[in-house]
Amino acid sequence: MNKLLAFSLRLCASAVILTAQDAREIMAESQKRSQAESQQYEGTLQVIGNGRTTEKRWRYDRLGSAGSSKTVLRFTAPPEVKGVALLVVNHPDRASDQWMWTPAIGRERRIALQDRSTRFFGTDFSFEDLEERDVDQYEFRLLGEEAIEGAACWRIESRPRGSKTSQYTSARVWIRKDNYVPVQYENFVKDRLVRRLVQRDIGRVQGIWTPRHLEMHDLRRNSRTILKFEELRYNVPMKDHDFTIQALRREQ
Amino acid sequence: MVALDGIDLHVERSEMVSIVGPSGSGKSTLLNLIGGLDRPTSGDIRIDGRAIAGLKDDDLTRLRRDKIGFIFQFFHLLPSLSCLENVSLPLHLRGMPRRQIEVRARELLDSVQLGHRVGHLPDELSGGERQRVAIARALVFHPPILLADEPTGNLDSTTGAEILALIHQLNRTLGSTVLIVTHDSGVAQSCLRTIALRDARIVRDERRSVVRAEMP
Amino acid sequence: MILFRLVSWPYLRKHLFRGVLTTAGIVLGVAVFVGMHAANQAVLSAFNQTVDRIAGKTQLQVAAGEAGFDEAVLERVQSVPGVRAAAPVIEAVVETGLPGQGNLLILAVDMTGDRSLREYDLEGGDEDIIDDPLLFLAQPDSIIVTTAFAARNNLRNNSRISMQTMEGPKDFVVRGIMRDGGLGSAFGGNIAVMDIYAAQKVFGRGRRFDRIDLAVNEGEDFAEVQRKLLAALGPGFTVETPAGRGVQFESLLRVYSAAVNMSSLFALFIGMFLIYNSFSIAVGERRSEIGILRALGATRRQIGALFIGESAIGGFIGSLAGVAFGIFLAEAIAGQVGSLIEGLYGVAEKAEDVAADPGLIAAALSIGTVTSVIAAIIPARSAARVDPVQALQKGKFQVLSSGENRLRRWLALVLLAAALLCLPFGSNRFFFYGGYMLLIVAALLFTPTLALWLARLLRTPLRRLRPVEGALAADSLLQAPRRTSATVAALMLSLAMVVALGGTSQSSYRAIRNWLDSALNPDLFLSPSQDMVSRTFHFPGGMREEIERIPGVEHVQTIRANKITFRDTPVLLIAAEMDRLGSRVKNENLVVAGDPDTLYAEVGQARGFLVAQNLAELHGLSLNDAIAIPTPSGILRLPVSGIVRDFSDQQGSIFIDRATYLKHWKDDTVDTFRIYIGPGESWQAVKGRILERFAGRQRLFVLSNREMRDYILGLTDQWFAMTYIQTAIAVLVAILGIVNTLTVSIADRKRELGVLRAVGGLRNQIRGTLWLEAMSIGAIGLILGLALGAVNLYYQLRMVRQDFSGMAFDYEFPWYVAMILAPIILGSAWSASMLPAESAVRSSLVEALEYE
Repeated sequence: MNKLLAFSLRLCASAVILTAQDAREIMAESQKRSQAESQQYEGTLQVIGNGRTTEKRWRYDRLGSAGSSKTVLRFTAPPEVKGVALLVVNHPDRASDQWMWTPAIGRERRIALQDRSTRFFGTDFSFEDLEERDVDQYEFRLLGEEAIEGAACWRIESRPRGSKTSQYTSARVWIRKDNYVPVQYENFVKDRLVRRLVQRDIGRVQGIWTPRHLEMHDLRRNSRTILKFEELRYNVPMKDHDFTIQALRREQ
Repeated sequence: MVALDGIDLHVERSEMVSIVGPSGSGKSTLLNLIGGLDRPTSGDIRIDGRAIAGLKDDDLTRLRRDKIGFIFQFFHLLPSLSCLENVSLPLHLRGMPRRQIEVRARELLDSVQLGHRVGHLPDELSGGERQRVAIARALVFHPPILLADEPTGNLDSTTGAEILALIHQLNRTLGSTVLIVTHDSGVAQSCLRTIALRDARIVRDERRSVVRAEMP
Repeated sequence: MILFRLVSWPYLRKHLFRGVLTTAGIVLGVAVFVGMHAANQAVLSAFNQTVDRIAGKTQLQVAAGEAGFDEAVLERVQSVPGVRAAAPVIEAVVETGLPGQGNLLILAVDMTGDRSLREYDLEGGDEDIIDDPLLFLAQPDSIIVTTAFAARNNLRNNSRISMQTMEGPKDFVVRGIMRDGGLGSAFGGNIAVMDIYAAQKVFGRGRRFDRIDLAVNEGEDFAEVQRKLLAALGPGFTVETPAGRGVQFESLLRVYSAAVNMSSLFALFIGMFLIYNSFSIAVGERRSEIGILRALGATRRQIGALFIGESAIGGFIGSLAGVAFGIFLAEAIAGQVGSLIEGLYGVAEKAEDVAADPGLIAAALSIGTVTSVIAAIIPARSAARVDPVQALQKGKFQVLSSGENRLRRWLALVLLAAALLCLPFGSNRFFFYGGYMLLIVAALLFTPTLALWLARLLRTPLRRLRPVEGALAADSLLQAPRRTSATVAALMLSLAMVVALGGTSQSSYRAIRNWLDSALNPDLFLSPSQDMVSRTFHFPGGMREEIERIPGVEHVQTIRANKITFRDTPVLLIAAEMDRLGSRVKNENLVVAGDPDTLYAEVGQARGFLVAQNLAELHGLSLNDAIAIPTPSGILRLPVSGIVRDFSDQQGSIFIDRATYLKHWKDDTVDTFRIYIGPGESWQAVKGRILERFAGRQRLFVLSNREMRDYILGLTDQWFAMTYIQTAIAVLVAILGIVNTLTVSIADRKRELGVLRAVGGLRNQIRGTLWLEAMSIGAIGLILGLALGAVNLYYQLRMVRQDFSGMAFDYEFPWYVAMILAPIILGSAWSASMLPAESAVRSSLVEALEYE
């Protein structure tokens, strides 16, 4: 009886802690576990919608991680878009800066802030979905636990803090309890689910649990984008000055 | 409606004939047919033995110009032309040289006692004077035939008498054949021959030997 | 009312054809009025809609003349407090090369930049506008066309379309199709959107924008932001609302409609004469009727009212017909007005539906009716004065009083003297137009006297021509001066207008030819676009050295022309190398003021401006006056060093040296290269070499001097095309006047002609008389019309100089117009008399001589 009481008390206590404090801790832990000096992969992007499938390939370089990383995304195929590059400089305290380089026109351009809710070049991702954000920019709440594709997960709700501009009112994220990898996101505008991202093919790369198959489903348009990572590596030596506008131009 | 029906009329040279009848009996139509202003639907009109029914419009005009003078009840002077010009008009139409025209026209105006009013416009003249100008115009070619449609109809009786006297005088001196349409019995009786029409037919053809030339 | 039904209607029914002819002047005048205004309204509203559609939510537009400005200005604009969103724009006009499609306005915007100003509807809904945005941005040949344009030309996503660019004809790929409505309906769909950075490359714009569209923060004081922007950017920039574009077009349209309104006014004026004439005759004809009415108890007032009422009803019906005809005309005029926009915007505006609004219809109806009523006042008064007793006496006529004539002559003399007195004060608008009006009225008052006098002069030659008919015709003219003078006056007015129009165009052509001879004397002209006035494409400044190296090229000059705002009007700024220009042009016909030996050097050293004569004329500038023009780097204030004849721009041009332009505008592009070839070289060979040298890498058109001249004269033709419409209307009205008055006057003389036939007039004599009479009226009208035209031309030229374009053209009487008009007028007078003459000789003599 006592034992039982003690257990339930502990349960209650842990539940209290988990709802208030630990949701953020889980998120922080998840972010911490994916942390690496740098990341690199070859991506394949498939957009399936409107009865058609288009495919593009890119190379992805990221220096730093979480809130203050810089990434360069360079398209390699098909030939018409080869060389088009996107530079994203994330800031822990505000929205990222994004630039685009188009070799055929021979110049870079800034992508304006209010456009981040728009689709990322015809995919089901929005520009915002590609940003990395620090946990401090959100408030989290643990909603409960749920199994996703047979794996036990925490179900956590995140809401952007007041200062933060986001197209979404709230999001739900499922974090696997065993390796702290987020396996599913659901993004809401008001109470309506608009985008669902499922991360699969999770494997250990250089000690970091990494999903290598992402599927984004835009429920408004009812189309899907599948992103596959190949030759994914962490901690590749990279230089800060490769993540500048000048570098975008140079690497032509 | 038939304006004239079964008319058979022969007028001798130098004869002076009056045509009488109530309104609408066909007097004026008869005169217009004789003068070639109108054409009969059937029948024949001969002037100096020449049939005019088959003549073309211009030939008819030439015939009229050479042989027939017209006097109308309403004078039909051109209001914008002076007396002299009105009288000269037929001569102009014939293409007579200007100088001759003027001499001739003056001569004729003199003969109707209007020599002093050559430059006046018709509006400036009295009714009798206007009719005299019209007579002068009708006679300017010395036509053998003079057709007068109610020449005194629009004039007071004194003036009417003067005009009638003038016509008689012309008939005598020039030997013209004169046909007068009138419904003034006095005018009718001043002629040696009177033809009465009624309902488009000749009802009477009366000749008399003596007339009173001067009418009251 | 009962009077109209019992009295007027039977009369009209009997003279229906005459009635129609009488109101024809009103019909035509009203039609031109309605047509012009309905077309203007339709095109203007379509254009304003287009401006709105293109502007989207834009509240203010930042521009710096046509040359555009550096990209960096965008950041300066964005940093001005109160600016919510700012988006750069480049506009380019391209030739589609598709039959019947004309030009396309390309609106180049930053596709990844701020899109809150303009809805492109790039995504959303069930279907994407842009098929693949990455591809769209990656390839500079991507364009978005409108649904309407795509449908007209069978275009789909990924269709190719070839258009003219800086690098020669180039294929564009349709990578998106805009939906109808909003931007997609601007210019009737002849608009396309592309990426601004692609446009910079494709159209050779460097790193420059044409303008920046912006919106202010909500609740922000609009004018305050405008003021701050101007302060932040400096005097070279303008900050205006998008509607300013419409206003600019409206002012262009104003000149056009002023000219057309004038012909409508003339038509109405002449219509007034026709009505006056018909009514005067009708009053004469209906004297006995009036007498009966008066005898039956109608008052003078009632008789007058009857005629005025008839005229009002006739005028109203004529105006109704005019409105209907005008709406029909408007379609045609709208096309012409729409193409005027092409000169301003590069793309023709298609007015979708042309309709007259109730206000316009009401105005047209009242103008027509009032004109008609005014015309009937004098005849109505004389009808009211008819004496019932006299009128019932058959065969009586009323006589014209000669006192009226004398009074009129005196009045005419006084007015003429007043008009002459106004001449020295002609630079004052009031005295100028006042004198003009007085002169026309004096001429009208003199018409009867002059017509009579001319008829007297004509008598001898007429008699010599046909002794009988000639004399009769001349007499008839002399004896019925009132009848003659109404026709003559109408004819004189319309011919005076034709002469002035013809004279203005002849003088303009002469002046432009002289200008071409002295200023546009290079052997070859190089232009980046076929259409020389389009300033969409520019050459890089460095091309000049390359041209100079081509064998056979002896001397090269560069021209860069831009529209700038000078004293609130758009004028043309022409940057040229003054020393080079001065060494080659012929100064004797060119320089109006200033010393030809020094002025090029003065302007060359940025010590003065060279201005076009029309600019000086319009703004009252004389030598050494200091004027200021805005530049992107501040105000440039210099004295006027010289005034030259120049017809480059209707609003005027200012010349500066290329070095001055480079310094202030920081723009080294070139619009035109003027090339002089060496002695013994053939231009064909040099042209071939130039084309060969730049083949494939530079969009380039080489025009020979001859082609350039033809091109400019062609533009002049285009401008005068609308004068030809006016001329056609004037001639038409003149012919109408003759037909009307002759028909009416011959009908009026039915009895008289009958008498003529009765007393021996042959058919041919009557015919000949009437023909000669008609042609004499034509001849008299022609002589007076040419004379008044000579005077009218003087006023017209002054009007052009003082009020329209400031261009000074030498007075030159257009003899060729006289040569063309003489047979047309005499011929139409003759043909106008044929029908009534025929009916006169064929009608029954008995009827003609009868009294009803």
